[in-house]
Amino acid sequence: MAEIVLENLGHSYLPDPKSEADFALKPVNLTWQDGKTYALLGPSGCGKTTMLNIISGIVAPSHGRLLFDGQDVTQTPTVERNIAQVFQFPVIYSTKTVRQNLAFPLECRGVAPEQIKARVAEVATLLDLDYALDMPARRLSADQKQLISLGRGLVREDVSAILLDEPLTVIDPQMKFMLRRKLREINRETGMTMILVTHDQSEAMSFADEIVVMKDGLLQQSGTPAELFSQPQNDFVGYFIGSPPMNMITLEPRDGALGTDALDLTKKLTIGTAGSRHQLGIRPEHVSLVAADAENIGVGTIKKIEHLGVDGVVTLQLATGVLIKAKTRNHVEMSVGQTLGVNVRTDDALLYIEGSLAHAE
Amino acid sequence: MGAYGAPTSHRGVNTMLSSKHFFLLPALLTLVAIILFPLLFTIRVSFSSWDVFQSGLDYIGGKNYGRVFADERFWQSLGRLSLLSLISVSLQYTLGFALALAVWKQVRGGRFLRVLFLIPMMTTPVVMSVIWRTVFHESLGPANDILGMFGIGAVPWLSSATGAFISVLIVEIWQWTPFMFLLLLAGLVSLPREPYLAAAIDGAGTWRTFWQVTFPLMAPITIGALIIRLIEASKIMDTVYVLTSGGPGTATETSSYYIYIRGLRDFQIGYSAALSLVYLVIMIVSLTVIAKLLLRLLVGKVG
Repeated sequence: MAEIVLENLGHSYLPDPKSEADFALKPVNLTWQDGKTYALLGPSGCGKTTMLNIISGIVAPSHGRLLFDGQDVTQTPTVERNIAQVFQFPVIYSTKTVRQNLAFPLECRGVAPEQIKARVAEVATLLDLDYALDMPARRLSADQKQLISLGRGLVREDVSAILLDEPLTVIDPQMKFMLRRKLREINRETGMTMILVTHDQSEAMSFADEIVVMKDGLLQQSGTPAELFSQPQNDFVGYFIGSPPMNMITLEPRDGALGTDALDLTKKLTIGTAGSRHQLGIRPEHVSLVAADAENIGVGTIKKIEHLGVDGVVTLQLATGVLIKAKTRNHVEMSVGQTLGVNVRTDDALLYIEGSLAHAE
Repeated sequence: MGAYGAPTSHRGVNTMLSSKHFFLLPALLTLVAIILFPLLFTIRVSFSSWDVFQSGLDYIGGKNYGRVFADERFWQSLGRLSLLSLISVSLQYTLGFALALAVWKQVRGGRFLRVLFLIPMMTTPVVMSVIWRTVFHESLGPANDILGMFGIGAVPWLSSATGAFISVLIVEIWQWTPFMFLLLLAGLVSLPREPYLAAAIDGAGTWRTFWQVTFPLMAPITIGALIIRLIEASKIMDTVYVLTSGGPGTATETSSYYIYIRGLRDFQIGYSAALSLVYLVIMIVSLTVIAKLLLRLLVGKVG
């Protein structure tokens, strides 16, 4: 168990990085607390796997330091790092049985046989693999194999953190759900820090205590799922977290404040940043639709209705042609072409200047 | 199906079949000409007494086959062939694997070494055998010259039974190790990266990683390479022909070389046809058994 600290940690696969763009992972400061679950979220190629590989020691970072419990491990080889990692594709030793697979990391470390036996039994119970212990590992299904990969990390008592590199990608949707719950359960029972790399926001949201959003090798925001949802620090997070993405409505300056013809909503600027791009970010969940003659801050015509089971996404065209999406349960009663009023609470409309969250009055 | 399926007119099917057959014809004819006809003809010939005194397809029943089973020289050559191919193929595999592992990870001059290792395979077998015959020459060859420098007396490379057998083995291994090297290197290069990362995290050392990760992952390629080489090795003929002519005595006489002697030196066409067929059946049966055994040994029972 350990606290993991990334100190100005960056990596470039080029020998002599000149500009920001040469970095696969731009220098970042982060602290992963002991015993929590984290998710590294971002589109493909955003540097999340690089970050994970640096933590596990597969890649040596070109810049900065990595600390486990205050101890510098930047140059420590993988074996001595007490890190377990589960990969996208289940890795098993195909010639061994499940029991031998689980015992392997302990055998490599020269642990006494009786102790190995006890640990393997313990972990097998935790993973519900008792019944399969003497089966050849290669005959299990993909999700069971993934459990074995995880189990090989769990048997080691010295493990500080378990790194999961998109471990649920090759698993059937139904099993995915079970496995994710299993992971949370294991985290609660063992208190091991878990870091999950994923590009699936719902996976990250349901798994992690804290989510780190990355893009192009740059840390965008880290926070609890609720924080990411209600206070996206920039337009990318607003776009990436939440489905459908956040509405972004461009504002123009008017009488010392900002506003738009589309909605009767103004934001006062605290500092003069005239000339830069101002936008209003509104979550589709926060847009409420009312009858056109009821009290509203704007009127629009329905252009499209998408059904998502219980909820629906309604796209409205406001005055001046601005489009806004609303997530609602009343979409079944609506039809394309209908005119509706829009309401948004002032607190739910966030101001973005040049794409990053600003604090307005 | 049928009853509810879309009805296809008989004429449509017929046109399709005939045009399909038309396109298959060239390949079919080639197959008949180079495989089917020779095989059937050989079977027919094996029941005749066709030889240098009496040519023609008479019928003498199974006499030739009776003679094969009583022919000690044939069975000895078969035993010798088995020994030769088993030793040479296993050594080729071991050496080839070692070389492939050596240049697998980026090493200095890896590309140069890769090309260098392949030269023996690209040399014409007869040319190569002639060169080796010179190397092994007892009084003029460099092999004995170099051994002489270390005080080892003239080794009867080609004139003693054991020496000749070992010489053939050396040449076989020298020529075909590159083939193993090539196949196994291709296999190694295509291996996934994750198992190695996982093994490193599990704390496995080099030795454990090889036996638990590399070797099992390479099992399918291993089986393929071994079978291909065993088939090739059992046909060994040119090397023996140039290097030792099966001698001294019959010390290096392999089955195919013995069949060559009976058929094309003694012109016992009928008898050598029977020999060839017996040899063919033995090869098919034994290689199938070996393939099955390898599969069970390396991959384990499936299902």
